[in-house]
Amino acid sequence: MSTPAWIRPATLKEALTMRRDYNARPLAGATDIYVRHRAATGTLPPLEDRPVLYVGHLPELTSISEDGKGWLRIGAATVYTDILEHPDTPLLLRRAIEELAAPALRNAGTLGGNIGNASPAADAVCALYALHAEVDLAGHAGERRVPIAQLITGPGKTTVGADELITAVSVPMDRPGSFHYYRKAGTRRANALSKIAFCAGGTVLEGRLTGLGVAVGAVGPTIVHSRDLEVRAEGSDLARYRKLQQEESAPGGFLTARYMALISPISDQRSTDAYRRRVTENLLRDLFERTIPTLLSGKAG
Amino acid sequence: MKNEIRFSLNGKEETLPGDPRRRLIDVLREDFGLTSIKEGCGEGECGACSILVDGRVIDSCILPAGAVEDRTVETLESIRETERGEKIVQALTRGGGVQCGFCIPGMAVSIESLLRTNPRPDEHAIREGISGNLCRCTGYQQIVEGVAAIEHVEGDNS
Amino acid sequence: MSHPVEQHPVTKTVERVDAREKARGETRYLADIPFPGRLFARVVRARIVRGEVVARNTPSLPEGYILVTADDIPAGGKNCVRMIEDDWPVFSEGTVRYYGEPLALLVGPDRATLAHLTEQCERAVEFRQQEAALTIEDALLCRGGAIHGTDNVYCDYQVVKGDPDGAMAGAARTIEGEYRTGFQEHVYIEPQSLVGTREEGRVTIYISTQCPFYVRKAVATALGLPQEEVVIIQTPTGGGFGGKEHYPDVLATTVAVALTRIDGPIELILDRMEDLEVTSKRHPSRVRYKAGLDEAGRISAFDVDIAFDGGAYESSSRVVLQRGMFSSNSVYEFPHVRVRGRAVATNSAPSDAFRGFGAPQGLFAAEMFLSRLAREIGVDDLDLRKDYLLQQGSTTMTGGRIHEEVKLPEMLEHVLRVSDYRRKREAYAAAARDNGANGTDGAASAKPLGGIGLALFKHGSAFTGSGEQEIIKARVRIRKRADGRPELLVSNVEIGQGVLTTFCKIVAQVLEIPYTDVVYDDHNTSHVPDSGPTCASRSVAVVGYLLQEAAKKLKGRLHEPGEFEVEQVYKHPEHLRWDAGTLSGDAYPSYSWGVNCIEVAVDPLTWEVDVRGVWTAYELGRAIDEEIVRGQIIGGAIQALGYAGLEKMENPEGRFLQRTMADYCIPTSLDYPGVDYALFDNPYPWGPFGAKGGGEVVFDGIGPAYAAAVQQAIGREVTRLPVTPEYISELVHEK
Ligand SMILES: Cc1cc2nc3c(=O)[nH]c(=O)nc-3n(C[C@H](O)[C@H](O)[C@H](O)COP(=O)(O)OP(=O)(O)OC[C@H]3O[C@@H](n4cnc5c(N)ncnc54)[C@H](O)[C@@H]3O)c2cc1C
Ligand code: FES
Ligand code: FES
Repeated sequence: MSTPAWIRPATLKEALTMRRDYNARPLAGATDIYVRHRAATGTLPPLEDRPVLYVGHLPELTSISEDGKGWLRIGAATVYTDILEHPDTPLLLRRAIEELAAPALRNAGTLGGNIGNASPAADAVCALYALHAEVDLAGHAGERRVPIAQLITGPGKTTVGADELITAVSVPMDRPGSFHYYRKAGTRRANALSKIAFCAGGTVLEGRLTGLGVAVGAVGPTIVHSRDLEVRAEGSDLARYRKLQQEESAPGGFLTARYMALISPISDQRSTDAYRRRVTENLLRDLFERTIPTLLSGKAG
Repeated sequence: MKNEIRFSLNGKEETLPGDPRRRLIDVLREDFGLTSIKEGCGEGECGACSILVDGRVIDSCILPAGAVEDRTVETLESIRETERGEKIVQALTRGGGVQCGFCIPGMAVSIESLLRTNPRPDEHAIREGISGNLCRCTGYQQIVEGVAAIEHVEGDNS
Repeated sequence: MSHPVEQHPVTKTVERVDAREKARGETRYLADIPFPGRLFARVVRARIVRGEVVARNTPSLPEGYILVTADDIPAGGKNCVRMIEDDWPVFSEGTVRYYGEPLALLVGPDRATLAHLTEQCERAVEFRQQEAALTIEDALLCRGGAIHGTDNVYCDYQVVKGDPDGAMAGAARTIEGEYRTGFQEHVYIEPQSLVGTREEGRVTIYISTQCPFYVRKAVATALGLPQEEVVIIQTPTGGGFGGKEHYPDVLATTVAVALTRIDGPIELILDRMEDLEVTSKRHPSRVRYKAGLDEAGRISAFDVDIAFDGGAYESSSRVVLQRGMFSSNSVYEFPHVRVRGRAVATNSAPSDAFRGFGAPQGLFAAEMFLSRLAREIGVDDLDLRKDYLLQQGSTTMTGGRIHEEVKLPEMLEHVLRVSDYRRKREAYAAAARDNGANGTDGAASAKPLGGIGLALFKHGSAFTGSGEQEIIKARVRIRKRADGRPELLVSNVEIGQGVLTTFCKIVAQVLEIPYTDVVYDDHNTSHVPDSGPTCASRSVAVVGYLLQEAAKKLKGRLHEPGEFEVEQVYKHPEHLRWDAGTLSGDAYPSYSWGVNCIEVAVDPLTWEVDVRGVWTAYELGRAIDEEIVRGQIIGGAIQALGYAGLEKMENPEGRFLQRTMADYCIPTSLDYPGVDYALFDNPYPWGPFGAKGGGEVVFDGIGPAYAAAVQQAIGREVTRLPVTPEYISELVHEK
């Protein structure tokens, strides 16, 4: 039998077989693939002769469920609109998706695609970093679960195996004390690509900060984050937080300075390195000098 | 794997001609003659190629035709024949919403998609609903006002 | 929205004749029209910025495909796209002046094969590359050697009023300023499209265009045919804005040459990326001002030096430049003025017409310089402007007269009132003083920084100087058909601006019949007389007037039997004079006037600008249809806001960086709020029912008003468009 050009498997199991047997390219919403491999009017997109494995219809990949332990498991091929419409979607992810592209794109695009694309400017992925999301992968050898930050290794690069599919993304649901901070400096108000995507979240309960997550997109080859820094702030009350911040006398304190050291923005057709640097610093300072201290001092509404 | 790909197009069961990797816009315009669908960019930015898939607006220029298998596709050709479709057409024509007109069919499809889930959108919701449809002529305001003035139509919101 | 005056019946809104069909998706644009046996074409382009072709190793083509080059131009034809000069070749004969310059045209039946062959052909060309000149400074230094002539200057004009040298020499104080604006791409949503074929033996081009007779002239010249042998049929055009004024000629000539080898039909539709990358853009500009002040602090001398980046071929740069020069004093009268203007050659795609046609560049610079003067002199911005306002009888910088009553003072008062300008301006100034937030990145506060700005401006209707009389010589006819309906025979076309409706209304109003009885659907150059191009805010103002006058000849005759025609030819109003040699006299027959006010809030964290309000007032003579005029006002404002804040196109190495619509961002529905407007009636005797032009003035003032608002918000002087967040953050960080 000749290699099929378009494969529409009936089940996830069949999809995995096809993926392995044909080195097929997974395709969900096509909003990345069909732009990257753009076809002239009336022609086929140049897909490098790899068969396409359509996964957008697979029930195993398009459901959203709670795991009973406070996590929401979102099928990798669930379209953005369905994620927005789900009542338990964490606010940070919701905010990122609300500002992602436009309705027609949100009716087609998926989290799996945003991860597979592995762009440093991927907005939903940026929120997933800040939420410490975990990604489920299935392959012929079985299933595995990896933290999002370990899955993406460079621009357009992931550790998704050649025989694997992303099946779901799990994020902790909001709970009492959850906060989120989201800013996107885009090329315009809607249907915009990020010049900087900035996501932060965590919980402040009884004056203590836990689960801090900070992620900045489009200022380096991958989304910038730091488990170490997040851990440094874990469990802080206002006094400890202030002390941590004073470990460096730079504007915006220790955390701002350390995050600034991690970014490496470039100039491109959308923005400049200087702008990306300044705005990142402003947002870091807004988060670390204003938002978090206010939350910790219990003054927030 | 079956070789026939079936889908519903403007209320009729159809078979997809040709390669499933073809862009849906080409299939609809060239094989089915549905020229209300326009190509303004071919990269998902302008919305001129908007159609409804399972009742939601999608850009047909970056959608492989095979992705609509077993799904429902509607274009302005069928929407304009419905009561709400006619109201949308009137909202666009009466309030000065149409200039060169090239973006307008896509705009109408996005408005239909919006009204199906939100029959009484406020200004912000309308602006949000058409934010993927670029218009270089009107500045959008007349379109937004026209849609805001549409009376709610009971209809099939499936 | 307000109506300071009672409406004339012609101003009352009607339903546009083309709207319903367009809203139902039934209008057939070029790509929607079936052409049996259609072949496809693709332009083979040079993938270098500047240089010479050393070798063309054209691959052998499969059966059914042809490669058309300059060699195919028939004897008697000419390898040029005739515009004003003949310097722009249809196909490069070896010299490449800009990235993407056409080398050849490939024609064949299958689009995928064509795409593949085009790439092969492009890769097979070998070049010797040369250093490119990409900025006005590069051009004046002749970087890499002259592109045009010996000095890269397409034209160098000077306008002098009074004794600027004497006045400048005697000035007690001088103040200078320099302003720049960037490229702008039209982004008509329908890309450039045409089909060339032979019908009854004649070369026939169906095309999305503003100017069918320009296309005819260019095709006839390239092929060496009498103009009547070429037929151009305009198809419903999905936006133009100046981008389909000359550029369609560039594409049509390539297909026309192909028609000497095969009969077609041949379709050429630009891919959006190609369209963004190779078509003409708005001229980038550099404008330098120097003002001389006398002892009393009054402006006695005004010296302006304007340079426009004309790109690789001259195209219509000289006329765009002239309009830029004539806009450089904005709506003010100074006693002694010198304006020098140069259009220079660079290795960018040729710059060409874009709504406003040079005026937005000149007006931006003028308004920003005036606000600098006010600051330096220490007077209020508005007071300074009021002191120098043109009025009826004033002498313009070209020594012409302002013939009409100038309603700017009442328009200004109106805008000040509805925008609450004075109070807000003062409040924002006080806020900036109090919190000292200006100039410090979000450190002090994340509170938005507010600002409000104003601009005053005017736009001359119709062609510059004696252009209407000597170059265009517009002619219109109305045919009384056998069925009793009048049919308009003009070459002006609908590009979204509403002429299909306004022309019918004008004629219907004269004939006292319903506007829907008027027929206006023939856009074939062999059927209609040349009433000139669809540009320069001239359609309603000039051609509409001719139609009104022609309709008067038809009045009372609609019931006469049979078919007959009446004609009207352009006559220049006798009170106007113009000397094209010295650029002196009445540069325009009339002006449309405007006042714009914009309020912004600048985010001190991201330097994004939120537009809080846009208030406008216009005097356009009289509106022929209020809804259509409103469409121009709002559409023009949003397009100009894009120019002012969003639309950035750069070519630091010659090739444009922004070549997708994801990277070249035009406004969406969420970027800007609604636009408030007021119309001031001031009927113009030589316009139809008193109308003047309205298509461009609505673009002109937004840039300076926006810049002025941002300037107040950030407490830094703005001297460039577009005012992007990147630019703002640079300004704030400069010491
Ligand atoms: C006009 C426009 C605007 C956009 N705006 C934004 C924006 O604002 N922010 C943003 O982040 N992105 C934006 N995008 C990019 C894109 O829409 C998103 O990245 C989207 O999430 C991609 O999802 P998809 O399902 O369409 O991906 P696809 O194109 O189907 O796939 C993308 C990649 O992921 C792989 N993949 C998909 N599913 C799986 C799976 N289950 N397992 C393994 N690999 C998989 C594919 O093989 C491919 O490599 C925009 C795109 C367009 C066209
Ligand atoms: S043509 Fe599909 S979005 Fe522009
Ligand atoms: S009406 Fe022309 S693009 Fe919208």
